[in-house]
Amino acid sequence: MGGGTQRPTMDLLRSEPMQLVQLIIPVESAHRSISYLGDLGLFQFKDLNSEKSPFQRTYATQIKRCGEMARKLRFFKEQMMKAGLSPSARSVISDDVDLDDLAVKLGELEAELIEMNANHEKLQHSYNELIEYKLVVQKAGEFFHSAQNSAAVKQKEVEAQQRGEGSIDSPLLLEQEMVTDPSKQVKLGFVSGIIPREKSLAFERILFRATRGNVFLKQSVVEGPVTDPASGEKAEKNVFVVFYSGEMVRNKIVKICEAFGANRYPFAEDLGKQFQIIAEVSGRLEELKTTIDFGLVHQGNLLRTIAHNFEQWSHLVKKEISIYHTLNMLSIDVTRKCLVAEGWCPVFATNKIQNVLQQATVDSNSQIGTIFQVLQTKESPPTYFHTNKFTSAFQEIVDAYGIAKYQEANPGVFTIITFPFLFAVMFGDWGHGICLLLATSYFIIREKKFSSQKLGDITEMIFGGRYVILMMALFSIYTGLLYNEFFSVPFELFGPSAYGCHDPSCRDASTAGLVKVHATYPFGVDPTWHGTRSELPFLNSMKMKMSILIGVAQMNLGIILSYFNAKFYGNELNIRHQFLPQMIFLNSLFGYLSLLIVVKWCTGSQADLYHVMIYMFLSPTDDLGENQLFFGQKFLQILLLLAALVSVPWMLFPKPFLLKKQHDERHRGQSYALLGNSLDDSDETELHDGSSSHEEFQFSEVFVHQLIHTIEFVLGAVSNTASYLRLWALSLAHSELSSVFYDKVLLLAWGFNNIIILIIGLFVFICATVGVLLVMETLSAFLHALRLHWVEFQGKFYEGEGYKFQPFSFTSLDTEDE
Amino acid sequence: MGFLVTTLIFSVVGIIASICSRICCNRGPSANLLHLTLVITATVCCWMMWAIVYIAQMKPLIVPILSEGE
Repeated sequence: MGGGTQRPTMDLLRSEPMQLVQLIIPVESAHRSISYLGDLGLFQFKDLNSEKSPFQRTYATQIKRCGEMARKLRFFKEQMMKAGLSPSARSVISDDVDLDDLAVKLGELEAELIEMNANHEKLQHSYNELIEYKLVVQKAGEFFHSAQNSAAVKQKEVEAQQRGEGSIDSPLLLEQEMVTDPSKQVKLGFVSGIIPREKSLAFERILFRATRGNVFLKQSVVEGPVTDPASGEKAEKNVFVVFYSGEMVRNKIVKICEAFGANRYPFAEDLGKQFQIIAEVSGRLEELKTTIDFGLVHQGNLLRTIAHNFEQWSHLVKKEISIYHTLNMLSIDVTRKCLVAEGWCPVFATNKIQNVLQQATVDSNSQIGTIFQVLQTKESPPTYFHTNKFTSAFQEIVDAYGIAKYQEANPGVFTIITFPFLFAVMFGDWGHGICLLLATSYFIIREKKFSSQKLGDITEMIFGGRYVILMMALFSIYTGLLYNEFFSVPFELFGPSAYGCHDPSCRDASTAGLVKVHATYPFGVDPTWHGTRSELPFLNSMKMKMSILIGVAQMNLGIILSYFNAKFYGNELNIRHQFLPQMIFLNSLFGYLSLLIVVKWCTGSQADLYHVMIYMFLSPTDDLGENQLFFGQKFLQILLLLAALVSVPWMLFPKPFLLKKQHDERHRGQSYALLGNSLDDSDETELHDGSSSHEEFQFSEVFVHQLIHTIEFVLGAVSNTASYLRLWALSLAHSELSSVFYDKVLLLAWGFNNIIILIIGLFVFICATVGVLLVMETLSAFLHALRLHWVEFQGKFYEGEGYKFQPFSFTSLDTEDE
Repeated sequence: MGFLVTTLIFSVVGIIASICSRICCNRGPSANLLHLTLVITATVCCWMMWAIVYIAQMKPLIVPILSEGE
């Protein structure tokens, strides 16, 4: 609608024209067609089977199979991660691996890998047990050995005593000594094992209590951690030997050992046998070690071969899954011979799509070609902007607020320039601008390398916005030159300064100030201003007025874009009763203010603009006196005030009434048609009824909507204009911070005439500049410029209620589910 | 006088920039229109800011008062 002018439409201003297309694809070429369409990436499929559950769909089994393969690939990836391998980057795309073959191969590899893992587990378990056994044998051997030695020593002592003291009282003693009659000796048994150190104390206590103190526990610490066979983790352990008498006690001890996770190992008392056991165990340990190592090498090789092909397989499986999901969205014909697809595609892509489908038909040796048919529909198409790598970042900024309605004017066109410009107004310092430029040119020069790598979150964002930052840097250099700030230092680059002393001795330079002697400094702020006492009053006044002027200009641009929108959609009502009163209201108040600002600057008058504006409303008929800027000002002010007052009801009342009249006319026309048809087929009237959009016209709703819109605009005119003052506020903050860092850090360090302090000062200056000014201020100015665009500019004309064109494409596969 | 001369310089630079963009990246009428719009917008923005800063200093109401010890 409305695009039939002879002038070429501007790229990116409105969405590409889209069409709803129906494809009838024969079954044999379906898979290939979808695959080629995915490579092309210009067709958005509509889901024709949305009522069906995932299991009722045609290709559910294939999806399940692909899901299995994906699971196996995930398993491989886990194993590779554990072994410390990473999948190599996708090498040459070799010949198409067939999906069935791949499924079989993945199955085999998985089985082999699982078996290897199981074997490894078992071997490792045996290995650990044997190590523990060896430790037990060694340590317990030490107990027994030392105990035997001390027992032998004691025996000798007793014998010596016995031999030595052969007195009369000794027979009694002797008898007492001989209490330990060998025949009456109870048989001592022992249990030996190994227990984790932290449990040993509790173990001892429970043993003591359970056996009523009738056991003897000897522990020995094992140096160094030991791998526990059950858990596979290293732990500090102690070797223990428990001596007991009686069978019942033995059972208790065994149960307690099991409860505490102590591993029991048999121990032979005979010294010779101990040595033999230790030798055997050592030999077996060696064997096991070689076997385990060999197994690991084998597993490593297998994983390496998997890693080599992993990326390619994984990509293929993801591709297949998405193809089958898409195939599931197509509705299958009753005869099961062809599939019907419906979807959106841009009009310019028609030829490409038809070629691709033709190719698919040829490649799959099908007899029938695919039918491509454009459908007419009242549905609103998705919005598609054909962006390149430069404009896509700006379009994303606009899209973050809302996707444009189909064929609505795209604020992205102007955002490409005005967003960096507003950023630069708040950031103006050409030194900082150069730093930003250097940073972003690094990203732009290494574009190709970075786009294939996987970057961290923040780096990804900066890389994605590299062209935005480039524009921001270029404009910042420009505004920095205008504000005459190079890390807050002014330079006299464009000619002589305009100010000079009043008289040769410059006596009153610090009291009455300098005088303008030359012509105005040709480009930017005069360098004399920096550091003076009246710098801030002058700059503040200039920057505030600049913000108002820029704001009024941008808001006017917004309203003009709404005019173009109304003209495009053929909405005469909006032009006459929304665009015109809005323009009149905004310009009679704030446009007039801008005019006053410019006139005051040009004439150098001392009129107080606050006073003028306020009294224009409070007492418009009063004489202006010394606030008069030009002839006829009072008359003009009264005229403008009346125009503004008239425009408010003009915005509010006509539109709802006219809309009601339009709706009534449409309905009246329909009801006449119905009368005419009632004598003929009654089915036709039903069809007609169903097709006509029966919107209920609620007058009150429309009126309230218009009221809200009017109030929003009227109040918004004041608040939005004031909102633009943030341009002044942020630029003031930036220049003050920059001058503080320069004066109080760098110059201070310079003043000490000491090289070390200078280096420290330079370091602090650089850190502060980068951290506060280059990072924080950039983000802050970015955010505020964004807000100004989203609320103040786009609020004047943008509806943003569309949905984005999301074509079926394989390019996004690699990035999702990572 | 300086104002008019510099405004003229800005417009000449703008025209040269649009001609350059037409020569360097000639990608069809719709893309050309977009580039032209961008160049014109940039020129207007830059000129407007320069003009504001220039006019604000033409007939100043405040003069620089040097601080002590400068």
